[in-house]
Amino acid sequence: MQLREFMLAALMLLQTFAASKGFTQTCTLQLNGQILESHSRQPLSFATISIKEINKGAIADEKGRFSIEGLCPGNYTVVCSMVGCEHAEHEVRVEQSLIRDFYLEATAVELGRVEVVEKAIAPASTQPQQALQGASLESGKALGLGEALKRLPGITTLNTGHSISKPTIQGLNGNRIVILNNGVRLEAQQWGDEHAPEIDPFIASKVSVIKGAAGVRYGADAIGGVILVEPEPLREKPGIGGQVAVAAFSNGRTGLVSAAIEGALGGKLPLSARLQGTFKRGGNVQSPDYFQRNTGLEELNYSWALGLKKEKFSTALYFSIFSTELGILRDAHIGNLTDLELAIERGRPLSDGAFTYELGRPKQNVLHELFKWQFSVETGEKSKLQIEAARQFNRRQEFDAHRPFGNLPDELTRPQFEFEITTYTLDLNWEHRWLPNTRGSIGAQGLHQRNTTDFGALIPDYSAQNGGVYWIERWRKYPSPWEIEAGVRYDAKRLSISTQGTDTIGQDLQFSNASGTAGVIYHLAEATLRFNAGTAWRAPHPNELYSDGVHHGAAAYELGDPNLRPERALNFSLSTNWTRPKKFDATLSLYHNRISDFIYLEPQSVPKLTIRGAFPAFHYRQTDATLTGFDWTAQVFLLPQLTLESQGAVLRVWNRNAGDYLIFMPADRFTHGFKYTFGPTADEAGERPFLRLAMTNVLRQTRAPQGDLAPPPPGYTRFDAEAGMTLQWGKKTMEIGFSVFNLFNAHYRDYLNRFRYFTDEVGRNMLLRAKLIF
Amino acid sequence: MIQNKFFSLPMMFVLSLFATTILVSSACNRDDDDNNPNEEELITSVILTFTTPGGTSTSFSFKDTDGDGGANPVVQDITLAAATNYTLAVKFLDESNAADVEDITVEVAEENAEHLVCFSVEGGVPQPTVDDTDDNGKPLGLQNRLTTTTSGTGKLTVSLKHQPNKGAATPCSTGDTDVEATFNVAIN
Repeated sequence: MQLREFMLAALMLLQTFAASKGFTQTCTLQLNGQILESHSRQPLSFATISIKEINKGAIADEKGRFSIEGLCPGNYTVVCSMVGCEHAEHEVRVEQSLIRDFYLEATAVELGRVEVVEKAIAPASTQPQQALQGASLESGKALGLGEALKRLPGITTLNTGHSISKPTIQGLNGNRIVILNNGVRLEAQQWGDEHAPEIDPFIASKVSVIKGAAGVRYGADAIGGVILVEPEPLREKPGIGGQVAVAAFSNGRTGLVSAAIEGALGGKLPLSARLQGTFKRGGNVQSPDYFQRNTGLEELNYSWALGLKKEKFSTALYFSIFSTELGILRDAHIGNLTDLELAIERGRPLSDGAFTYELGRPKQNVLHELFKWQFSVETGEKSKLQIEAARQFNRRQEFDAHRPFGNLPDELTRPQFEFEITTYTLDLNWEHRWLPNTRGSIGAQGLHQRNTTDFGALIPDYSAQNGGVYWIERWRKYPSPWEIEAGVRYDAKRLSISTQGTDTIGQDLQFSNASGTAGVIYHLAEATLRFNAGTAWRAPHPNELYSDGVHHGAAAYELGDPNLRPERALNFSLSTNWTRPKKFDATLSLYHNRISDFIYLEPQSVPKLTIRGAFPAFHYRQTDATLTGFDWTAQVFLLPQLTLESQGAVLRVWNRNAGDYLIFMPADRFTHGFKYTFGPTADEAGERPFLRLAMTNVLRQTRAPQGDLAPPPPGYTRFDAEAGMTLQWGKKTMEIGFSVFNLFNAHYRDYLNRFRYFTDEVGRNMLLRAKLIF
Repeated sequence: MIQNKFFSLPMMFVLSLFATTILVSSACNRDDDDNNPNEEELITSVILTFTTPGGTSTSFSFKDTDGDGGANPVVQDITLAAATNYTLAVKFLDESNAADVEDITVEVAEENAEHLVCFSVEGGVPQPTVDDTDDNGKPLGLQNRLTTTTSGTGKLTVSLKHQPNKGAATPCSTGDTDVEATFNVAIN
């Protein structure tokens, strides 16, 4: 047989936890698949595939099919070869049993080299990184992105009612975190507390979070961390497939349907395509004692993708639209401080309300559109260049309870606020392996953005330009237990503020700064230790510079400061993952985040008088803040079928200049539960039927500054139950899940819900969902 | 073989999507640049007009013509005569553009069921009584009576409520507040 060299790489499936090298015979995961020739789609008979670390392998059968059993979760070096050939090593991350076909391309050179046309695997972060997967992700998607992420330790949400959830990483949110939507950083109106990320969670096959300052790799302003929302790679296997997901909630009588269909051509024109859409509609939700008036929502999202993948390059187009109409709790819409005080005194909505799907004022209409082009090309044997260009457009309209004054008919339907922001981004990333045992990337990012405020001069019109360059290198030499990463980045930002309402400002601001990261991973037999020190910085946002007005939802007068300096974060994290098969799997992260010139709203002693009455005044100020905390997640396998699950997060925040706490920081929260798994414990692909009962305890936030209109609410305990199973017939898979949130219909309020003044949280809510993959 | 592939289902799907791509991408949403951010009308001024039975009118205003932020509102102190039956008319204006003053009272009167003018008093100021009703026969508060007795000083707060529950025991503690203007009052 001819000598063949196989170049193999595999996409990481559901990520993460750490690389564990403690392989024992008791591990139960499988890697199955088929090795095919990418042009002819003919199986490559009798190729061998093996895993270096454990000397495990398999020989593909006549049809190219292989199966490797007994894998622990972790990072593996996969070696693929045929008889007598030189072999090449590739990293594969195994989180659960996975089925993967490898497409190898035979080129016409003498040695008959075979190469894989797959994306290289991003190495594991030296920072704590966690992903949502399996049933948790599936039932979370129905709840929405923010609520889904809350299932990860250290992630909370800042809510405005039940439908607006801003994900918060270790206490930080909004402009302090970066959300990558299919590789493109989400650019919308993140500055607003009631502005939730505009992403359809159903596009994602994987949602993961990197905790802590991750400025170098993901953009300077990733002070709190990064959320990565990644779709399934486009289908490569010729044919048509797809999936349909449906879900129904008892509370709010919310229903949703999401479907995707994809196809791929083989042969000379390896085009792939996908069309995806989601529709969701819900009515007024119910707290234990009453309906929350005007809390319905309607969401319609769709996306399409087209990809072309050749041996040396690949290119793809992606387009998505997210549009939503969100009702805002009528009782939370107040005109002035007196109204707010009356509402707090009342402690509940004025009337018990009733169920309706009808949606009136106050409400939000939000549209987000993303168009992206991506191109990646092999630049030699050991490097790859990726180019990504994207345009995003976001329109946010906010409607107060009161329609605008004025007699023209078009004013009846006008919003009080309308912001439109258009963003162009260009990202270049060059991955390389220059030296033995190292891999790295050099990249550049550019952004041009224009924001116009069409109604309501809350923030000024502005345009912004960002430019950044970075360089990261990673070293590991097997079998050394050390893995080292370091990176630097430099960014410059220009902000041109033109007008605010009828006032001309004409300020031109420039900021520039460097960021860095350094981290190590130490691999032990059963555990992985990670340490990372990272920096990030963020220029003040125009709302922090130029706010001048009453924020009616909060009954607060907010005044910006045009002289604010950028804030800088220095973040240390130490995390460990310890896995002992069939005994336990635990991850603990400790962090300390020092943010200098942290921008926050400082309460003023003199209230601001307006025609609506006097409002408490807040000015944007800067301080030095520290955020220190830890979070964990652990699974203890008590019996072969019974698992104890535990997770928790503790955070302490200090405003060092004022000697006080900072507002809206998550209280300590803990979740404990049991998961019972049915069926055999033997190796099995997919998730086995399970039943889970979880108890969440959230303590009272006793560390809150003065200046809030009502003290933080008491702590609470909430129970949730979940069951799921997977059915399989032929090539079709059906996942069914049933969840009950707030099982005992508990009355509670959460400190991080801005509507806690007005209403209890949503009562018992049952979710029935099904997903068919064909 | 090639022929077959060309008309295969995936081929048709991919190609039809390709066509849609070209259509859709040319129809991207754009910034529509309404560019008149301050056209929205606001209430910037509250005018209280007190009229004696003899027909003598005196007006006092609370004005915040630059909106919520910026300069503080300018408030005139109210001076009334003792032992007088006044009628009290309330007017709301948008004076943010001095060249184009809008009378918002007209709209309040049109949407009378949705609105309610409330008064609260402090010190020696008598409580006004509402004289007009909305289309449902409930109080509105644009036309009122105020009868002074002895001299004294105090405060009068006028508020405009939007969507109050006019059937409630205290309708003035329901709804959201569009205006809340407090005047100093001297009765001589």
